Amino acid sequence: MSNDPSTTTSSIAGDTTTATTDDTISTATTIPEDATSSTALTSTTKASTSLDSSSSSTSSKPQAAAILSLSAILPSLSSTSHTTARSLLHDPHTSSQISSLLKQPDSGAGDNNLCRWLYDTFQSSDPDLQLLVLRFLPLVAGLYLSRVPLRIPLAGFEAVLLALYAHETASRDGHSITVNVPDVSHPSLYHETKAAAVKSNATGLNLTVISPSLEPHGTVRSTRRARIVGVALELYYTKIYEMPVESKIDFCEFCKVWAGQDGEMYKQDLEKSSGNKINEGKEEGSLGNNDKEGMGRVPLPCELLQPVLRILGHCLLCPNQNKKLTDKASEACRSLYARSMHDINPKAILATGSLLRLANMAFDSTKQDLFDPTDVPKSRVISM
Amino acid sequence: MDSGEYEEGMVVEFSANGNSMKSTDVEAKLDEGNIHEAESSLREGLSLNFEEARALLGKLEYQRGNLEGALRVFDGIDLQAAIERLQPSITEKTPSKKGRSRADSQHSVSQHAATLVLDAIYLKAKSLHKLGRLTEAAHECKKVLDAVEKIFHQGIPDAQVDSRLQETVSRAVELLPELWKQAGSYQETISAYRRALLSQWNLDNDCCARIQKAFAVFLLYSGLEAGPPSLGVQVEGSYVPKNNLEEAILLLMILLRNLFQGKTKWDPSLTEHLTFALSICNQTCVLAKQLEEIMPGVYPRVDRWNSLALCYSGAGQNKAALNLLRKSLHKHERPDELMPLLLAAKICSEDSHVAAEGVGYAQRAVSNSQGKDEHLKAVGLRLLGLCLGKQAKISSSDFERSRLQSEALKSLSEAVALEKNNSDLIFELGVQYAEHRNLNTALRYAKKYVDETGGSVLKGWRLLALVLSAQQRFSEAHVVTDAALDETAKWEQGPLLRLKAKLKVSQSLPMDAIETYRYLLALVQAQRKSFGPLRVNSQTEDDKVNEFEVWHGLSNLYASLSYWKDAEICLGKARELKHYAAETLHTEGIILEGCGKSHEALATYIDALMLEPYFVPGKIVVAMLMSKMGPKALPVARSLLSDALRLDPNNRKAWYYLGMIHRDDGRMADAADCFQAATMLEESDPIESFSSIM
Repeated sequence: MSNDPSTTTSSIAGDTTTATTDDTISTATTIPEDATSSTALTSTTKASTSLDSSSSSTSSKPQAAAILSLSAILPSLSSTSHTTARSLLHDPHTSSQISSLLKQPDSGAGDNNLCRWLYDTFQSSDPDLQLLVLRFLPLVAGLYLSRVPLRIPLAGFEAVLLALYAHETASRDGHSITVNVPDVSHPSLYHETKAAAVKSNATGLNLTVISPSLEPHGTVRSTRRARIVGVALELYYTKIYEMPVESKIDFCEFCKVWAGQDGEMYKQDLEKSSGNKINEGKEEGSLGNNDKEGMGRVPLPCELLQPVLRILGHCLLCPNQNKKLTDKASEACRSLYARSMHDINPKAILATGSLLRLANMAFDSTKQDLFDPTDVPKSRVISM
Repeated sequence: MDSGEYEEGMVVEFSANGNSMKSTDVEAKLDEGNIHEAESSLREGLSLNFEEARALLGKLEYQRGNLEGALRVFDGIDLQAAIERLQPSITEKTPSKKGRSRADSQHSVSQHAATLVLDAIYLKAKSLHKLGRLTEAAHECKKVLDAVEKIFHQGIPDAQVDSRLQETVSRAVELLPELWKQAGSYQETISAYRRALLSQWNLDNDCCARIQKAFAVFLLYSGLEAGPPSLGVQVEGSYVPKNNLEEAILLLMILLRNLFQGKTKWDPSLTEHLTFALSICNQTCVLAKQLEEIMPGVYPRVDRWNSLALCYSGAGQNKAALNLLRKSLHKHERPDELMPLLLAAKICSEDSHVAAEGVGYAQRAVSNSQGKDEHLKAVGLRLLGLCLGKQAKISSSDFERSRLQSEALKSLSEAVALEKNNSDLIFELGVQYAEHRNLNTALRYAKKYVDETGGSVLKGWRLLALVLSAQQRFSEAHVVTDAALDETAKWEQGPLLRLKAKLKVSQSLPMDAIETYRYLLALVQAQRKSFGPLRVNSQTEDDKVNEFEVWHGLSNLYASLSYWKDAEICLGKARELKHYAAETLHTEGIILEGCGKSHEALATYIDALMLEPYFVPGKIVVAMLMSKMGPKALPVARSLLSDALRLDPNNRKAWYYLGMIHRDDGRMADAADCFQAATMLEESDPIESFSSIM
């Protein structure tokens, strides 16, 4: 690629920050878009990618400060010197308190303490603290998108989302993420071809952008809303293996809300034969909350749906599965499948349909005792 | 295994050095916790050494499911020392080609011993695995592989390796990544997978396929970015994946290729994983290619056609998709399946020439939406409405048209009653009402759409502005456009700026319009220069303003101001971008006419019609010029206008000139009707056609 998208965007997008929407709080406009702060952020994230980040049992200085200010918001938070961002990340009690505060109807406002805490804490550039903030992204993004049509102040949520967006923009240097879809007629790391003499001229033809280049945004313009949330979810995905299960469950629940579609009719065919009655029962139930259903339904353009599906794929099929999570993820997947049928979106039908079938296959294989090829077969004669 | 299958409760026998003995006594001793006695009775009975006896005992314990016992037995052997004894001496470590035969014979001697030791370590690892001590198990399992690499440092020889040794090695290779994965050590998992697949272990096809699949699945769903493989394993000229998705797709494609070549068994999950991976990266056309390669007979053909149709439609090749769907919906295949019916109807709803066919699909979809698919009834009705609306556009009679239009509105309303929260449906209703010139209702839906989507969709803003402009509420339309511009990032403002320019023209502010066009031009040019072919953009993908349109619009604007010179220049620029276009010829005609050259103008207008026989503005101007040529030309002019009105019944200019002709011919009543139509339409004329935003 000869042209560098990041440099060209800055030339025209330099003056975009002047236009602001209704109620943007001051924090939103002070988001670092300059290169100096971005390098600091990237260097710290690199440190956090090593899995066994041996964070000591006592908290560091920014962590202590963040925890102290959190205890002002959550009075019941008993912070000792042993409370670290890591321990809070996996502390169900604190998480559920923060979650219930976030779920309050006016939580997204610009003057909300918790939103401000999330924003400030993410800016601390401490990787563990950033993880702790990311843990609540499913809730923030979910509530935000569903509340947009209600026309209530949401500048607090927007500030948090913009901070995540800016972080991702900086760590990617604004570049797009591309995937070069391989062509097996050419030799690769994992295979050889007979016609190896043919120079790889066709490779590069299938270069595809999975996340376009990022421009800095100082405010959430409504037409960029899905993109900003999508990029924040992309950031979440890069850290998803460190996320506690509850956070992923929150995500799956919002997938259902966003889909605005009940997907229970796509429950495994196995139950269909025996479960006509179950189906009827469900039917009534779904009619009962039909009005509630579809309340949070949001437009699902590709830029939002794609990271959603990647995260959902993880929730459904990641190693060392958690039963509760896979159940929630299957539900979400069914809802999104129903939604993609309603949208008649071919790519989404393909992706959600295969996830659904894979989940069913995994479900079937857990029920029957599978042959383990790594086990040593028992034999009647033990010989040398 | 040459020994018979083991069944529960069977007496196990030991056999070695030509002797054999029953395990009953040994088992009894083990049960008493007397490992030493059990071991010595084995050594005596079968003339074994200490390590051999222990290895057999360990295997017995493992087989009996007594895993703790097995571990106790294995702990007695110094496996590390045994491995070291097996390693070739320093001189043999670098065998030259000449000394090969000697090294081989040395190997065959030590293979027996190696098998014994590696078996023992592997069983230890497996025991630890079953006990849930995963990290320890992984370390033991890794020892097996390290030892194999030390003993056979040139890779496992293909021919002369003991089959039992090979089995153990294969199992260890497959188990190691699994152990790390279960232990939650994902970085180690990745290196173990790569080690398994990139070193020479002489694995059989099935084992290799299992590892490749497990790795691909891990890469796709673990969420941990593996990073590119180390430089050491990269071969010049071969493809090296640089991220998880690429690596997973590569592995899945290799697996599928081996499957097609009959090397491995059919596994339906492979295509599902690949489908997920490729649709995530928008490469459904590559997926289509892969699906086409699947051998017939593996996969029901209708399923394949349907999947292929989804792939092609996802890649924007709707024509190919529709052809496949026609096959799968044929009455001898599966004519009532909902997904293909809906997809076919959707594709048809986008093209007026097949819209009638789409009506049929949509009706079938509606009548088949029963039972658990009842929720899709609204989708069927919605598509029925869209197809009818599209069909109305090309209908030949007024009667037919209005029938189709009201049916379209009826089905869309039925759909929205079933699905109140579907914002797309609300938008489509808005457009349909607008096209029906029911502007108040259209405005209500347009507003509702913008509200429900939180203003996040560009076309919603545009519809709102267009409906307002049709109601001649230009200043409000202007406010909406400006609000939309505020909510839009620079790069996507093109369609809005074009709208704004046209609004300025309607408000008789030509200078402002020129200014807006200039700004739009700068944007479009910057866009062209800065983005290569890689740009995928969300919302403006379908209606990006191109440079040609801007120059042409400017040219028209200057022409309307009688700035013939400027109009000429802009037209020249437009012509550079698109050589033969009816639009440019049309504008050229206007300029010529403006300069008083009516004959040349007429010739140019007719050229435009030659290029594009359905070009409505061209028909109108030709008719207009001809009607001025005297009574002989009036019938020609009239038929041209009727033709124009058949194509675009809402064209107020056509009605107006038709009225003029009727008047000149003395048919006053007809003329009055036409003029009335023209005035009514003028009061509801949008600045851009409503169908431009669908």
